[in-house]
Amino acid sequence: MQPVATGDTWGIPGPTFLLYFLGAAVLIAIAALVHRRILFAGDRAARVDELGPQQIAYLNGGEQLALYSALGGLRAAGAIATAADKTLCQSGPLPGGVTPLDTAVYNAAGKQFRTREIRDDQWVAAALLQLRTGLEQSGLAVPRDSQRAARRWALAGVALVVLGFYRLVAGVQNQKPIGILVVAIMAAIVLTLLLNRKARIRTRAADRGLTAVRRNHEHLSPRQSPSYATYGAAGAAMGVALFGAASLYTMDPAFAEEAEIRRIGTSSFGDSGSASSCGGSSSSCGSSGSSCGGGSSCGGGGCGG
Amino acid sequence: MTGPQVTGPRVSTATSYGVGIGWRPEIAGFVAGLPGLRFAEVVAESVHAHGDLPSGLTQLLDRGVTVIPHGVRLSLGGAEPVEAARLEHFAAAARRLAAPLVSEHIAFVRAGGVEAGHLLPLPRSREAVDAVVANVKLVQSTLDVPIALEPIAAVFDWPDDEMDEATFLTRILDGTGALLLLDVANVYANARNRGTNPLDLLDGLPLDRVAYVHVAGGAEHDGVYHDTHTDAVPRPVLELVTALCERHRPPALMLERDGDYPPAAALRTELDAIAIAADYPAIT
Repeated sequence: MQPVATGDTWGIPGPTFLLYFLGAAVLIAIAALVHRRILFAGDRAARVDELGPQQIAYLNGGEQLALYSALGGLRAAGAIATAADKTLCQSGPLPGGVTPLDTAVYNAAGKQFRTREIRDDQWVAAALLQLRTGLEQSGLAVPRDSQRAARRWALAGVALVVLGFYRLVAGVQNQKPIGILVVAIMAAIVLTLLLNRKARIRTRAADRGLTAVRRNHEHLSPRQSPSYATYGAAGAAMGVALFGAASLYTMDPAFAEEAEIRRIGTSSFGDSGSASSCGGSSSSCGSSGSSCGGGSSCGGGGCGG
Repeated sequence: MTGPQVTGPRVSTATSYGVGIGWRPEIAGFVAGLPGLRFAEVVAESVHAHGDLPSGLTQLLDRGVTVIPHGVRLSLGGAEPVEAARLEHFAAAARRLAAPLVSEHIAFVRAGGVEAGHLLPLPRSREAVDAVVANVKLVQSTLDVPIALEPIAAVFDWPDDEMDEATFLTRILDGTGALLLLDVANVYANARNRGTNPLDLLDGLPLDRVAYVHVAGGAEHDGVYHDTHTDAVPRPVLELVTALCERHRPPALMLERDGDYPPAAALRTELDAIAIAADYPAIT
């Protein structure tokens, strides 16, 4: 390729530099992958099938889905509704046997929060933290520290990219061919972006259990237009937990619309089927189910003011 | 006792299944959670002949629950023969579910290529009997198992009816050797709307040929009782179940609910009420 010329940039011939450069990139990628496997393994003995809907929801879609699962359960129980200005409101008593997150969301609804602001409520935030911490301790959710540690490998990628740029500038000044180097730098950038991606919420141990839980609750999939009145508040909460916000739209489209529920899906696992395909899209999901939840007041107008 | 042309095993009256329920995707989780369930019915048209079974049905079959395909689109009462593709699918669904019998309505759903969208009653004439018998025989020729025929609820009677309902049904059963799928909610609805006594019809029917029984809810609108399948089973229908069982207890009875599903507890109460009315063990 390059003739061995006098005055190699930095005294290193181009092909040699490229070899080391790409070699370093591969090593970083392998090290990061190995590190992630260790960080995200979780506790193989941890049980998923004994978790409640909101815990399942957290593992599936993070804090947002855990909140939506609580909203789904409370809505199906007739405890909350939306007011005219799209704020949440209480439309019935808080059902018995609820979780701290249910209680916090219910109280926030009493304070006329909008759905997207509800995480700002300190009690909701505390309940979410409690939910997350419990799952982290049982080896099902990836702890924040581990998520940060996993993303730290992106720094190595940045270093590589910076080095590549220096070499590029020096090579241009030296009037050397730089075509392959540009490609190598691009590859290093892609690697860095991949390493900096948001790390996974749940451990691999949780993956296995969740696939089984989902199989056992296939009847709650929006594809079946499940009767939430029959399955009750717990079924509604679990439907949202396993199949995403699309379940809320199937259950009670008017409420979901009024409460400005975002159509987030669930992060895919195993044979991810219906859930993710519903995320983001417009009318094809939801809407088909006619039955409103257990609560008597369908539609938004349940709260006087 | 049975018609001369019944083929296959006499499962229908030899085995007693007790109380069952119509399987619907919307309540699949509820049905799966019934500990004593021994039989269920599924709309035949919702069963793929070759693809995957509806989610949840496999689970029931694995548990040993008998699942009976219930056709709604064959149009046995149509003047034209049942389409070959529909026949094929119906038989395939039965094989797929390893069902001991299948069922369809004595009704027509299309005429001259126009789909009515729901089940329409036949005039009770000799021609109608002949048309149904011809179609049922055609279906039977493709089936490995017996077929049970269900009379439908009719909000009106045709003006040129030549015979009463019991005679009409008995002639069809005699002509085909088919079994009877009796819908007590229909019997109740027809009698109430015509101002007749439902027990008269029960007494006129060959009750020993009842394969199983549908029990469903309804509601009255503007003086007409509608067999809605979306309301609770009214007390008189349960009383009719008891009256039927006093005459000849059918081997199986099932709750047929097609929409506006109530909370699980209410569905369980309905199933228990049917069990009590028929003196079968509770399945909940």
